[in-house]
Amino acid sequence: MIEFVLDGRSRVSTYMQLVLQVKQALRVGLLEPGDQLPRVREVAGSLAINPNTVLKAYRELEIEGLAEGRPGVGTFVTGTLAGSSLTSQAELREDLVAWLLKAEAAGLSPEDITALIDTTMRAVGSGPVRKEAR
Amino acid sequence: MIWLTWRQHRKQVLYTAIGLVALGAVMLPTGLSMHHVFNDSGLAACLSKLGTSQVISGNADTCDDQFGQFSRQFSSMGFLAILFLLLPMLVGVFFGAPLVAREVEQGTHRFVWTQTVSRRRWAVAKFGLIAAVTLVFSTIYSLAMDWWSGPLMANSGRMGPLIFDFEGIAPIGYTLFAVALGIFAGTLWKKVLPAMVATLVGFIVVRVLIETLARPRYMSPLTASLPVDSSNQFNGDSGAWIYGNGVVNGAGKLVLPNSSIGCGSNGNIAVSGAVPDNVDPCGGLVSQGLGPGPFFNSTRYQPAGRFWEFQGIETGIFLALAAILIYFAIRRLSRIG
Amino acid sequence: MNDVGTVLTDTAIETDGLGKRYKRTWALQDCALHLPAGRIAALVGPNGAGKTTLLHMAVGLLRPDAGSVRIFGKDPYSNAEVLAEIGFVAQETPLYRDFTAQELVTLGGKLNRTWDAALARERLSGLGIAPNLPVGKLSGGQRAQVALALALAKRPRLLLLDEPIAALDPLARHEFMQTLMGAVAETGTTVLLSSHMLADLERACDYLILLQTAHVQLSGSVEDLLETHRTLVGPRTDSEQVPGVAEVIRGSHTDRQSTLLVRTNGPITDPAWIEHEVTLEDLVLAYLAKADTRATRTAWDVKA
Repeated sequence: MIEFVLDGRSRVSTYMQLVLQVKQALRVGLLEPGDQLPRVREVAGSLAINPNTVLKAYRELEIEGLAEGRPGVGTFVTGTLAGSSLTSQAELREDLVAWLLKAEAAGLSPEDITALIDTTMRAVGSGPVRKEAR
Repeated sequence: MIWLTWRQHRKQVLYTAIGLVALGAVMLPTGLSMHHVFNDSGLAACLSKLGTSQVISGNADTCDDQFGQFSRQFSSMGFLAILFLLLPMLVGVFFGAPLVAREVEQGTHRFVWTQTVSRRRWAVAKFGLIAAVTLVFSTIYSLAMDWWSGPLMANSGRMGPLIFDFEGIAPIGYTLFAVALGIFAGTLWKKVLPAMVATLVGFIVVRVLIETLARPRYMSPLTASLPVDSSNQFNGDSGAWIYGNGVVNGAGKLVLPNSSIGCGSNGNIAVSGAVPDNVDPCGGLVSQGLGPGPFFNSTRYQPAGRFWEFQGIETGIFLALAAILIYFAIRRLSRIG
Repeated sequence: MNDVGTVLTDTAIETDGLGKRYKRTWALQDCALHLPAGRIAALVGPNGAGKTTLLHMAVGLLRPDAGSVRIFGKDPYSNAEVLAEIGFVAQETPLYRDFTAQELVTLGGKLNRTWDAALARERLSGLGIAPNLPVGKLSGGQRAQVALALALAKRPRLLLLDEPIAALDPLARHEFMQTLMGAVAETGTTVLLSSHMLADLERACDYLILLQTAHVQLSGSVEDLLETHRTLVGPRTDSEQVPGVAEVIRGSHTDRQSTLLVRTNGPITDPAWIEHEVTLEDLVLAYLAKADTRATRTAWDVKA
């Protein structure tokens, strides 16, 4: 059973932090299909957050096919973070490192790079469309 | 509510009970002693021989000497008597005033009135229980006072001011009134100390007003007129409450206030009261310019036999006042947030 | 509320033109609220804004001078039975200080029709609170927990808490909120808790009611409020007419730039404006500033 933590200063909303932590746990193998996620009551009671927030996070995971709620029993992990095999990820990573070096050489600062990635992603229409966070 | 009322006020009830027991411990030996001396010294016999008729023979022994001796022996009992007079007020101040005032001052009314019991039910149950306990305690000390003060008041009777206050059932009425006044004061001031002060002051004011202005008017006083030359006199030891006496002339005018004259046919002259020095009581009052004859010793009084009627009226008044105060207290409760 | 979650559709608190007057000042005026059941609502505002007055009317301690308040459809002032559905903890957690925790649990059983004494005892023992100590001798945090346990033992459908954590140290505050959130997760109770500090309540509440100067300045679900408000940064403008903007809540200007916190009624289409999301704190501060009635510079005759 994993335990959640909250970053009070993060701009990421609480429910999203929970979702991300589950996904991270899946990635590193702390959670496997069949494992039970902490009960809503436990999470709300230990973090002092609204139980609806926990429910929202678990519902989000259900929508993404990563978890499944069983009434009266709990919420269980069902999926894995599939969608990209480890090998293709490694390849993409290598390409990214090369590009980053190129961008640095061209004189772009880290902020310029992030902005460039953001606007390009938006324009291309892939990935979540985010409003600019402060 | 019974459990809650007891649990909340058990200390007060306990202290009151202890106080009463302590009081009893003082009353018992002194009371027994007084009764003992009263009978053994012949004072009891003298008074019973005197009887309770309004008019007695002019040369009857009025037991004044024996009574003087008795009261000198027990002169310190006066302090206890004053304490008894204060008892109803103390109960009202320490029992009644904090009842609502402490609840509101400490904010616990916001706790207890938001449980499922309604404010009205809370008040009726609490006040009712406190009234019942007050009734029991006040009946006990009322009876005890009656017994204890018997010998002391035998001479003057029970109708007179202040003495009337600790006889019969009047203390019960006063105590219930004092508690109701305390409760009502609590709904006005909502703080314990001001409520206690208000109860003290209010109690004294009401008692004084009723005693001095109302009580003399409960029933019309009787008037006894005895001719100045009769051999009889008015029986001051009959236990009557004497409003005033004096010598009245044939035209009905009061010519010698606060005095009485007995000009006996056998030459005995009995004078009491404040006859001025320049008046010769039996030397022909007409000739001294005091108006037409015949002259009478006139006494306005309430007879001792009316004691229980007066007790009933006075207690009734105080119980009615208590009920009115409780009614308004409960009404005021609905406005306290 | 079990892990899957059920939604109740009735209204926990409904007020209509609600007002309360003390002598000649209105402590609360024109209060119109509609709190759906199942929410955890924050009642926020400076001291003296009317929060306690509102809560006292909701629990039947005060009678309204104007308008009405209904708890699950019933008037709490005239119906004592509604109190069975409301758990209330007043400011400064008043309890009979010489009663022990055990005796207070007994008291609840005597004065309430539905009372889960076992639940109260379980909670209090779980929190390590001694049953036979007069509660006046407990710490502030423990006393608050006792008050909460007593309120929860009624198994209420609505919990009203008046500044329950204001006087507590940070650890006690956290523990109180933990207990509260855990209990709500179990029972789905609607909660309205007041505080003059939003930070304490931000993570717990999904509904906000903002009171200031006896009026409701803002109310709604947190999600809706955050979705319909934005901070816009753009070139200096004094115009209040920006497409997509229903109302400018607060604006500050330099000679070249304007920063506006706005309530939107549509998408912001003008590319001159850069949109930022707002935090709940930004929102509350902006509305509080808008309603601020403090004396202006001119009142003091100070040159601008």
